[in-house]
Amino acid sequence: MTGAHAVGLPPREADSASASAVKAMQAEGRHSEARERYADLVARHQRRASRIAFHYLRDGAEADEAVQDAFVKAYSHLASFREELPFEVWFTRILINGCLDRIKARTRRERWLVSAPEPSPGQSDFTDRVAGAGPSPEDQVLARERRRKLADALARLPDRQRSVFMLSHYEGCTSREVSALTGLNESTVRVHLFRAIRRLRTLLTDGGQSAASQNSRSAAITGGKRRVHP
Amino acid sequence: MFILSPLPRRRHLDDDAIAALWSSRVAASEVSSGPASASADEEAHLRSCAECRSRYDAFAGWLDDARAEAIDEADEIFSAERLGAQQTQILRRLETLERPGRVLAFPRFRHSGTSVRRGPQRWIAAAAVAGLIVGVGAGELLDFRRSMSGASAGHLGSQPLPLGQSARGTLQPVAFSSEDLFLYDDSDAASTSPSVEALQALDALTPRVRDLDQVR
Repeated sequence: MTGAHAVGLPPREADSASASAVKAMQAEGRHSEARERYADLVARHQRRASRIAFHYLRDGAEADEAVQDAFVKAYSHLASFREELPFEVWFTRILINGCLDRIKARTRRERWLVSAPEPSPGQSDFTDRVAGAGPSPEDQVLARERRRKLADALARLPDRQRSVFMLSHYEGCTSREVSALTGLNESTVRVHLFRAIRRLRTLLTDGGQSAASQNSRSAAITGGKRRVHP
Repeated sequence: MFILSPLPRRRHLDDDAIAALWSSRVAASEVSSGPASASADEEAHLRSCAECRSRYDAFAGWLDDARAEAIDEADEIFSAERLGAQQTQILRRLETLERPGRVLAFPRFRHSGTSVRRGPQRWIAAAAVAGLIVGVGAGELLDFRRSMSGASAGHLGSQPLPLGQSARGTLQPVAFSSEDLFLYDDSDAASTSPSVEALQALDALTPRVRDLDQVR
């Protein structure tokens, strides 16, 4: 997968070296070689990229398009890539910006259009849902419900908290990486992560509204600290 | 479910403290991160209190489950086949980026080739319009001439009398065409039919054809 010169390097450095090599090939006009080399980068990052895009957009087809667009855009703007920044971070930034643009466009569209109810993202064909070797229909329904609740709770988080939570918790990015991706400083990233977790916990355990009222009541009594022990 | 605890139990950690501990442990696990933000007291309490430890474990487990659910959901949608198709599509798009664009002829040039053929078409249209105008004009002229000749023939025997002559009170002979007489015959026949009283006076004033015949 990785180019010969990148063998032995840690994955991040290897990616950056590959990206630089592709950039050099583009500059020299060796386009087919550049494409082949870039295909390795695509193969290494597309699963993670698809996951991130899906968590942002909550729609498989749109996430697919966003990932394609991001890879094409990264390739055509590779001349502006600097090797001191990991390729993964640089590319993820392009991807997230694309996803945010799509969310904005979708919000504008939905302001004017009433969309038909869509099947849940994990819902498959009828032929796949009938008797098979997978989990039972009940388990599927329960899993789908859990995912829906989690997605709804995530959607209710402020944008920054959501981004920080998804990148650090789902994708395992460090605070520094999240900082590089979002433009926030590291301590702010940690604060957003903490707040996101606290809010998610509230939304998912108490169902949001009851928790909010209880929270305010408890806060009034305890001076902002909610007591958890009976 | 959250009830305020009495004083001896207030040392237990609340949800916020547990979340802060979790965040700080995650941050501490990062090589590049700074010192953890949770206090040493809370860490010490967590180590010593079994109840808080179990709650912390449940909290961490809940977060891990959420992560696993989210990743499974995305991975179910993006199967290996779908990712393969995605990669193919990306490479196809990259290929088209580098292929020079094909120049299409501007529509104007296509039209200029056919403009030679349009010349006769235009002449045919113009000739048709001219023929139509000439035809309509000629038709109008013929009709006008016919009406002129017809009018002159009709007026030869029925010249209107000068006003001075009729004012004298004498009844002058008037030339009638056979069509006029036929019309008056009809009106006479109408007058001999049972009349209405209101029209009697008018009827008396109206000259009869037989009177005219007598004058002749």
